[in-house]
Formats: sequence, C-alpha cells, structure tokens
Amino acid sequence: MDVTIKILRYSPEKDERGHYETYTVEAHENDRVLDVLELVKGHKDGSLAFRRSCAHGVCGSDAMRINGKNRLACKTLIRDVGTTLTIEPLLGLPIKKDLIVDMEPFFDNYKKMLPYFINDDPLPADGRERLQTPEQRARFDDTTKCIMCAACTTACPSYWANDEYYGPAAIVNAHRFVFDSRDQAADLRLQILAETDGTARCHTIYNCTDACPRGIQVTKAIGEVKMAIMTGKV
Amino acid sequence: MGLSRNVSLPTALRYRGPAGYLTFILHRIGGLGMALFISMHILASFVGGGLGEFLNAVYESWIFQIFIFFCVFFHAINGLRIVILDLFPKLLEHQTQAIWIEWAVFIPLYGFAVFTILKTAFGG
Ligand code: FES
Repeated sequence: MDVTIKILRYSPEKDERGHYETYTVEAHENDRVLDVLELVKGHKDGSLAFRRSCAHGVCGSDAMRINGKNRLACKTLIRDVGTTLTIEPLLGLPIKKDLIVDMEPFFDNYKKMLPYFINDDPLPADGRERLQTPEQRARFDDTTKCIMCAACTTACPSYWANDEYYGPAAIVNAHRFVFDSRDQAADLRLQILAETDGTARCHTIYNCTDACPRGIQVTKAIGEVKMAIMTGKV
Repeated sequence: MGLSRNVSLPTALRYRGPAGYLTFILHRIGGLGMALFISMHILASFVGGGLGEFLNAVYESWIFQIFIFFCVFFHAINGLRIVILDLFPKLLEHQTQAIWIEWAVFIPLYGFAVFTILKTAFGG
C-alpha cells in the first residue's frame, strides 16, 4: 500500500524556519513508522535526519510527533495510525535538524534530580546486596521503566511554556529513587522538587501519561511525589 | 545553531492530547472568562453612566449568561476533580474515568442552567 508521509524539515544552513515536505512510499500495514522513515531516507531523500538506535522501543531515541501526538516511531504501526502521516519533531526543545532535537536541556533537568543511588552506610555483613522486600520493590517498579525518550516532558504544556520546569521525565526518575527503601537521599530530592520549578508546575493535564511509550503512570508518579512533599512521608 | 524551542499557541492547540488536555484548555478559558466577567462588573460600577449601563447590559444578556455559567460550572467541577485526584494520587490511574464522571455531572447541571436562562429570556 502507498503511505503518504509529510515531514517537518529544517536544515540550519538552508532554512530560516522549518517547512513541510511530502513523500510517498510503498509499505505494509504491519510496518512501523520508523520503517517508513528509513524508506524515505534510503530511497527518496538521503538528507533526512532522525535518531534511531535499537528500533525496538528500548533506547528511547526516536520519540517524535506522529499525527500530532508524541510516540516512538519504532513502536507505532502503520495500521494504527493510517496511511497519511504527519511527522514533526518533539515540541519545546530546540530543533537541530529535521526530526533531531537538542536533548541537552532535557538531560540537564534529569541531572538535577540526583538520579543515582545514595546510601553511605557500610555494606551489609556479607558484603553483597542491600535487601528489600517484594512490596518495597513494587513501590517504585513503574518508574524504573523510563527510557528517557522525552515523549512525556515534550508533551507537557507547562514545559512548553517554561523549560525551567524540571518536567515529567525528571520527576519520574526522582520518584524511582525517592520511593526506593535502600536510598537515603529522598529528603534532598523532595527539597529540590518542592522548589518553584518542581512539581508545583504540574497541572494534572495527563498529556505525559498518554505520551509514555512504556505505559508509565507518569501523572500518578508526580501525584505521589507531590503528596510526599506535602506530608513529608514517603 | 538550532530552531528555537518556542511553542506558539496554535501549535500547542494542535497537539492531540487525551481527554485531560481538553479539560485543561477549557479550565483556562473558564478562568479567563470569570476574570473578564468580574472586571466588567467592577468597571461598570466604577465608571457608571452610559458606559456602565452598556457593560451591565452586556453581562446581563442571555448570551453572556450562558457563557459565564459555562465558565463557572466547568471551572468549579473540573477544579474539584483535580483536587480530589491530587489528594488521592492512587486514583490518578483512573483519570480517564474521572473525566467521564466529570462530564456526567457537568452536562446535566449546565444543561439545566442553560434551559432556565433561555426560558427566562424567551418565555418570561
Ligand atoms: S529506536 Fe530505540 S526506542 Fe525506538
């Protein structure tokens, strides 16, 4: 079947602003949007730029706006989105070229969450693992699934309006450590998130939850963090 | 170099968000609508005279009443939903259902208000 794909193109050398270009390629209904992009790049226009790596929804490289919503191109089938596609880069991050956005501001916000394990206690007597019960593990299971694709943060109107806002992805990653029974820096992270650019900028819009390719309950995680800030209990 | 990150209002409105995105937009319109109504009200009593009467006539007209009732009811009910969900984050898993319930409460309530306004305006 023929798939018509309209792509927002931008090249810093040639364009003042972006422009749309339309291509038609032959594809199968079980192909993914990423396959269609590869066909365009391979057969129609080699200058098309987009990120991809694993092609299996694991690395988080190819989040983009597909027919107006943030999706991973490698997890979106043609039969689910139709044969007329509009592909645009993520919103709220500077565009470097075509579908490639500058992820640096996104990672900067992530780093502010101290996204690493903090526990200064000496190791347990056997020198091996710090144990936790299945229930303690389940507490933050959902937020361990994040692949840092930025689909949630760049779907958030609060982030579009203000990139000082840490954004859903950063909060999800903070949640992963705040609710981990082995970690000892929950207070520190909650303090950071209680600042003006923290959870207070979340207006429970749910664009993030809808955009997450991993099905993480993003708004719920943010809600739990908000509650922890309010009550001081994790 | 790169293209700026700015997201214009039309681009933002074109984002195909879930049900919660629509309620978010309507919530903002509701808030702005109420601010408009209150400013008109204050201005009308402040300046008085011809302009005051004109403003009075505008916000007392049935069309404006239909608009302002939408703003107040929607803003209140949607706000209530968000407060409840914020207090019980576990419920956030059922956000879509919560929005359906919200519409189920809003539509009859607002429908009744519109019906009453129209009846008063045209039926006496
Ligand atoms: S290419 Fe790795 S997530 Fe899509």
